[in-house]
Amino acid sequence: MSTQLHANLTEEQVQQISGELDEPEWLLETRLDALAALDDLDMPDVITTPGPRHWTNLVDLDYESLVDPLEFAQEKDRVEAEGADVLSWSDALAEHGDLIEEHFGSVVDPQRDFLTALSTALFSAGTVVYVPEGVAAEDVKIRTRMNSRSLFNYTLVIAEESASATILERQTTGTNIDGDQYYSGIVEVVAGENASVQYGALQNLAEDTYNFSVKRGHAGKHGSVDWIEGNIGSRLTKSSVETRLLGEGSESRIVGAFFGHEDQHFDINSRVWHEHEHTTADLVTRGVLDDEARSVYEGVQDVGRDAWDTSSYQRENTLMLSDDAEADASPKLIINNHDTEASHSATVGQVDAEELFYMTSRGVGEEHATNMLVEGFFVPVLEEVAVDELRDDLRELVAERLRE
Amino acid sequence: MSSDQDHLKETDTEARFEFKKEENSAFEAEKGLTEETVRIISEDKDEPEWMLERRLRALEQFQEMPMPTDWPGQPDLSEVEIEEIVPYIRPDIETRGGAEEWEDLPEEIQDTFDKLGIPEAEKNALSGVGAQYESEIVYQNMQERWEEKGVIFCDMDRAVQEHEEIVKEHFMTKCVPPSDNKFAALHGAIWSGGSFVYIPEDTTVNMPVQAYFRMNSEGMGQFEHTLIIAEENSEVHYIEGCSAPKYSAFNLHSGGVEVFVRENAHVQYSTVQNWSKNTYNLNTKRAICEADGTMEWVSGSMGSKATMLYPSTILKGPGATDNHITIAMAGEGQDIDTGAKVYHNAPDTKSTIESKSIAKDGGRTNYRGLVHMADGAENASTSVECDALMFDNDSTSDTMPYMEIQENKVDVAHEATVGKIGDEDVFYLQSRGLDDDDAKQMIVAGFIEPITEELPIEYAVELNRLIELEMEGSLG
Repeated sequence: MSTQLHANLTEEQVQQISGELDEPEWLLETRLDALAALDDLDMPDVITTPGPRHWTNLVDLDYESLVDPLEFAQEKDRVEAEGADVLSWSDALAEHGDLIEEHFGSVVDPQRDFLTALSTALFSAGTVVYVPEGVAAEDVKIRTRMNSRSLFNYTLVIAEESASATILERQTTGTNIDGDQYYSGIVEVVAGENASVQYGALQNLAEDTYNFSVKRGHAGKHGSVDWIEGNIGSRLTKSSVETRLLGEGSESRIVGAFFGHEDQHFDINSRVWHEHEHTTADLVTRGVLDDEARSVYEGVQDVGRDAWDTSSYQRENTLMLSDDAEADASPKLIINNHDTEASHSATVGQVDAEELFYMTSRGVGEEHATNMLVEGFFVPVLEEVAVDELRDDLRELVAERLRE
Repeated sequence: MSSDQDHLKETDTEARFEFKKEENSAFEAEKGLTEETVRIISEDKDEPEWMLERRLRALEQFQEMPMPTDWPGQPDLSEVEIEEIVPYIRPDIETRGGAEEWEDLPEEIQDTFDKLGIPEAEKNALSGVGAQYESEIVYQNMQERWEEKGVIFCDMDRAVQEHEEIVKEHFMTKCVPPSDNKFAALHGAIWSGGSFVYIPEDTTVNMPVQAYFRMNSEGMGQFEHTLIIAEENSEVHYIEGCSAPKYSAFNLHSGGVEVFVRENAHVQYSTVQNWSKNTYNLNTKRAICEADGTMEWVSGSMGSKATMLYPSTILKGPGATDNHITIAMAGEGQDIDTGAKVYHNAPDTKSTIESKSIAKDGGRTNYRGLVHMADGAENASTSVECDALMFDNDSTSDTMPYMEIQENKVDVAHEATVGKIGDEDVFYLQSRGLDDDDAKQMIVAGFIEPITEELPIEYAVELNRLIELEMEGSLG
């Protein structure tokens, strides 16, 4: 794998990317270290059951043909909020260099796996959001339109003590390129004491795009990191959304929604680590699969030895609209402290026959009735979304897909 | 219930479960595992050529396969040193294939089984006793009326001789081939003893058949094989019990269980495992269930240092049903990694999995389970429920279910909870005059009650007693 990549991936390219962003030496070093580590790193973990049956196949992806480190093009809209900085990397490094050096790579290990290291070495686009102490930044919006075969995007969010931020990120494809594309996005969120960050992402990339995404946050004392992860587009998505609850009384809510059709494959992972007392987590994911779409879900609630008085909940529900769809799910509990209330549940099924019968008996056509039930299926997830724009967009994308 | 309990209380329970006998074996194989060892085992049993060939092929597969190490959170198997295990020990008795009558057994073996309560079990009108002492069945008793109906219940070694064709067809071929996993391959190479149960068409054995497997020799592996064939419209309940004395050296238990449930047949397989706390319990148990058949696994895992056991059922025919009931309890130094696997390969198949686990004193329990619904398994349904109870902050309780759904007309539900033993509950019971230990025991008994009520009375009593002993040992 890595040998394939090295054919068109060099230190000079990384130096060029770094130079164009006018980066400090430490960041170039971090990139070069990540590049050098590619040889020894494995692909991100995928679940394998006896057979062996790999729930997601990342090994056969031809990255060489997808990754062109120096050819990147995108359009970005950044909607700022008063009192907070929403900056490109070069602006952010100029203004907040020390702060970035302190936090960059502290949440997502740059050498976590092969694809993360690749992303760290090659990122050329992205945003830094800085919310100073006590500032409430509502409705920060970052819209990215991908216009090249590959795009490596890196987002760093720093919310200082008692700051709060609501961030909405959207990824779409602008100019479509013939053939497969590769989008890689890393998001790091640092929420300080009593800070709260809600990060909503809605991914609707062109359906010949391979999408790799790691979103991970650290929640400080009484802080919260909440995620909304909507996946509609892409050919294959491997997404990890994670929170470490590091501070006493910290909280996290991870809400996921996906709607797969045709031969889309979504590998969605929600993970939370309870590492201090009185922490709370709530993981809710709902997904719908049509045609030959496949979903893989892994949820992990990990309660550490020191996490006294933990509450941790997880629910995952998948609705299958087609006989050729496939859904794999593995909700995991890892509990090392007995002072814990934890539960999880997962279901897979089809549209409820009785509900459908009720609606058709009231004169609603079967197709229309099914669509209404699918829209209704997403309601518990939509209700968790605090950002109006994200909720409306997600609802609209679901409705659009149902009309197809 | 009360009379059973009273009876058990009359015996010295510590002595009943934790005693060992001096070794007195006629033959002890060379240490280590070689082709030569396998040939000796086969020759000593006077086996047909095909069985020797299967053993040798399994040995080859065992040597080729790597140790399983890459399952997330799996128990540490690095101390399983196959080379140190004397794989085969024959009890010192005259008759090959075991004694016919209880009285023919050597006195010390009788004594051992007395403490295990086998004669009592027999008095309770169990339909047969197959007691394994060390590696061979030494005692068999089958009630005549079952024999007349064509029911076969004998030790596996004898079955190879006397029921060769049917064994040849079913033994580690379609159900658990040696290639399944490293320890199944090991088992295939050096299996010894175990039970063969054959229930003819339209026959119901309405009393449980019972076998006790024992391990009583230092550094010895136990590799018994159980093969159950229940023909169309038949019904049987097989009970396997393990309760091993404590030893200082480690032991390996790697048994194999294969169950064939034909059309509309019903098999229940119940086991309470209480291997000593230095045993690695690595078993492979599987059932193949034809149309409208029912397979039920009832498992209690109390003992062993580490257990990796996932009884599995392949629901092959339409309308087949599987039920799993599992209790796991891990104390100090124990890692009980157990669960269930169900493959829904036909329409209208149903499965339920109920798992209860208790972790205390630094022990670890893990529910690891797989439910697979193949494309075409229309109207299949499964329901999985896992509940875990934790006693303290040194223990670990994990839940790792895997669901693979390739069919849309299905109903799949999984639920799990983990909680601590409630301070309020303990306080309430204490305020009613119970001491701390009794209160906790009562809470645990209540926690597992939904499962014990599914067990035959003898087993429910034994399980409760074992849990009581476990709790007494550490909560004082």
